[in-house]
Amino acid sequence: MSTDELETDLTRQTENSPRELLTRTFFFLCAALSIVTTISIVVLLVTEAAKFFTITAPLMGVTGETASLVDFLTGTTWQINSGEFGVLALVSATLMITIGSAVIAIPLGVATAIYLSEYASQRARSVLKPALEILAGVPTVVYGFFALIYITPALATVIPQIGTFNMLSASIVVGIMIIPMVASISEDAMSAVPDDLRQAGYGMGATKFDVATGIVVPAALSGIFSSFILALSRAIGETMAVTIAAGSRAQFLNPVNPASFLEGSLPMTAAMVQLLLGDITGGGLAYRSLFAIGLVLFVITLVMNVISDFVAQRYREEY
Amino acid sequence: MATETEHGEIEGFGQVSRTVGTVFRYLLIAATMFGIVTLAVLLVYVANDAIRPLTAGPGWYLTYFFTLVVPTLLVGAYVRTRDRAAFSFGVFLIGLLVVSLMFSGGVGLLVVDVVPPLVALSFALGLAVPAAVAVVLTRNSHRISFTTRLVATSLAFYLSLFGLPGPIGDAAGLPQVVPSFVQFVQSIPVIPVDWMMVAAVVGGGSAAAVGAYVAGVRDARSGLYAGLAAFAVSVASAVVGPFVGLNPVPAVVVTAVALVPTSTYAWRGAFGEDGTPIGLGFAATVVGGALVGAAAVEAFGFAGPQSWVDWQFLTSSHSGSAVDAGLYPAIGGSILLMSTVAALSFPLGVGAAVYLEEYAPDNALTRFVDVNISNLAGVPSVVYGLLGLGVFVTYLGQSAGTVLVGGATLALLILPIVIISSREAIRSVPSDLRQASYGMGATRWQTVRNVVLPEAFPGILTGTILALGRAIGETAPLIMIGAPNVVFSLPTALNSKVSAMPLQVYAWSSLFASEDFYTKAVPAGVVVLLAVLLAMNSVAIVLRNKFERTG
Repeated sequence: MSTDELETDLTRQTENSPRELLTRTFFFLCAALSIVTTISIVVLLVTEAAKFFTITAPLMGVTGETASLVDFLTGTTWQINSGEFGVLALVSATLMITIGSAVIAIPLGVATAIYLSEYASQRARSVLKPALEILAGVPTVVYGFFALIYITPALATVIPQIGTFNMLSASIVVGIMIIPMVASISEDAMSAVPDDLRQAGYGMGATKFDVATGIVVPAALSGIFSSFILALSRAIGETMAVTIAAGSRAQFLNPVNPASFLEGSLPMTAAMVQLLLGDITGGGLAYRSLFAIGLVLFVITLVMNVISDFVAQRYREEY
Repeated sequence: MATETEHGEIEGFGQVSRTVGTVFRYLLIAATMFGIVTLAVLLVYVANDAIRPLTAGPGWYLTYFFTLVVPTLLVGAYVRTRDRAAFSFGVFLIGLLVVSLMFSGGVGLLVVDVVPPLVALSFALGLAVPAAVAVVLTRNSHRISFTTRLVATSLAFYLSLFGLPGPIGDAAGLPQVVPSFVQFVQSIPVIPVDWMMVAAVVGGGSAAAVGAYVAGVRDARSGLYAGLAAFAVSVASAVVGPFVGLNPVPAVVVTAVALVPTSTYAWRGAFGEDGTPIGLGFAATVVGGALVGAAAVEAFGFAGPQSWVDWQFLTSSHSGSAVDAGLYPAIGGSILLMSTVAALSFPLGVGAAVYLEEYAPDNALTRFVDVNISNLAGVPSVVYGLLGLGVFVTYLGQSAGTVLVGGATLALLILPIVIISSREAIRSVPSDLRQASYGMGATRWQTVRNVVLPEAFPGILTGTILALGRAIGETAPLIMIGAPNVVFSLPTALNSKVSAMPLQVYAWSSLFASEDFYTKAVPAGVVVLLAVLLAMNSVAIVLRNKFERTG
């Protein structure tokens, strides 16, 4: 640009020129889109779910078949063909996946975080961190296939009575999938613990083990807990792996009974996929039940994300 | 802080045992490795099922051992001891060749089966002409006011793409008076041969990119020559192609998209300033070894592995029997979906990030948007699928399972990720640069366009590619919006039904569940999907590393 061009440019362009206003408006609209998305999700789920329940359907002007809200929330049988919509059957399956994956991901993720933050050399870290990211980057449909084709037969050699579709292999792959999430957020929290505390520990004669378990982990506890909640909320929303590996027959299982992990059931997300694959007419009862499950799922994950945020903010140690 | 809780350990002072620490350390290592090793084992299994390396004869292995492995190891070791930079340049060059060949396969698929060459040419010209008008107007920006330029540019694009009165007139029922430039090009009675049009569009694009790159590292004149040379090579390849068994159109695409950019980069890395010719030598050894090996295997008639990932698999569509089943429509669907997702999510995501970092006042609304975006990132993908189904399909009346609906749904899904990573990239631009720009009297938009975005661009690009990598593996949202499980032809328009690679893998592994599909088509599909993901992620990582070095 020559000098006179620069001069005109500089003198003419002010914060309120049409160009500034136009670009500013465009950027603002982009940011506002995220709010529009959230509002659309909430409005859509609430209105469609409201059309599903007998108690709210008249308000929405729906005259067709509806389902009872009480039965939906307390029923333990999910049989669309016979009109039984008991979401607890699905919730119990989702809960099992969550518990199963937590058993795998929480200890392994925290141990990984401690290793990466306290023990690993710079070089080891630069190799291990991308390698862990791969675990989260593999498409979930691939994990589902792994669980069905390789993990279940391998488990069957140890536990012969395991079903072709079972919660155990689904939980294992979901657990592996969320290890990086636990590990990276926990590691961030541990790295944020000031070195002074570690040095003070060593100064008192503590070993590396003492420092890691007695100082760093307690000091980073809020971050570690928030990583658990976030990762489990991911496990709850996980769809394809459980759809492929956990089966298609909904049944109410006792989530704390280890034997029920050998059977298959239908988690919420898998039930949604199954509904879609069946003959589904827009506006029918099955179509609206989709949004009712979606609402339950959305509320659970949203609450967990908010709690995770709250824990991370509220209980953070300030240094 | 933690001193009270330390009581136990401190009382045990003086009785330090190394055993506990050592055991703990090894436990940690084992825990860290568990997931990685498990995944690695699973990947080995699936690769073995898909590629079946054990079905190749010993002659095949021996040939490649002597033509590829031995020279690679010898030359590699030599180059590495001589000059590490040259070695990594050579490795990078091979990676570039592989990734660009994959990319050219995708472009080839687009120009052969999706967009007819004449349509591509007409739209390329229809966009190039008004773009040229816009450039001329911008050059003279000091004489024309911004509003005039905006109106003139929009008018040029509108005329060129739609004609007069165009869609506005259609709404009012007016007849088309002036045809658009696009229609004009399509109506020219003399239609050039397909490969010429492909050479003009693809070769022209690649020549422009090469020219701009060379002009950037050297000067404008060499840039012009390089661009012309690149274009000449692309055109020449159509003539040479048939002699080496390639049709003219694929030959042009492979040359323009893969060979020309790779050789430009190789030329600069080898013979430019601080060039390392021996790095090029290493790359040439590997590529040459592979070619010689292939020729030798062919000549001796050694059987290679009976891989399920073969040309037939990549170019045919679904079939009832796993041996004949292929991934072609799904690959094309994934490419079109990703193009739509990128076109939607990149401007919107970067725009939102720019607003939040550069414009937004620190008030309650901004904080709300902030919290909202991080919560959106945690919403399960299946809920986004419901959003697509409910809003795009049911309320807006789009037909289910189209490229547009799928692309828009996936774009909404990755938008929070794009915004978050773009914000990080923008935040890492030093504020000195901004202050300097403001200090010279630049306005906010001038600062954003000339300082912030160029500085943050590599970071933004990395984040976007990683987000696209997430989108390409998503299956659940596509099922929710009603994408069909089986598609036999490529989608050719934004409103045609689309399948995608992960969706096809899912269909094979659950709807067509049989031992046959489990051991043949599904592993092959998984390997192709993972290879595409690996290529995308390595591009992102290379960009990030380059960015971190300079930044």
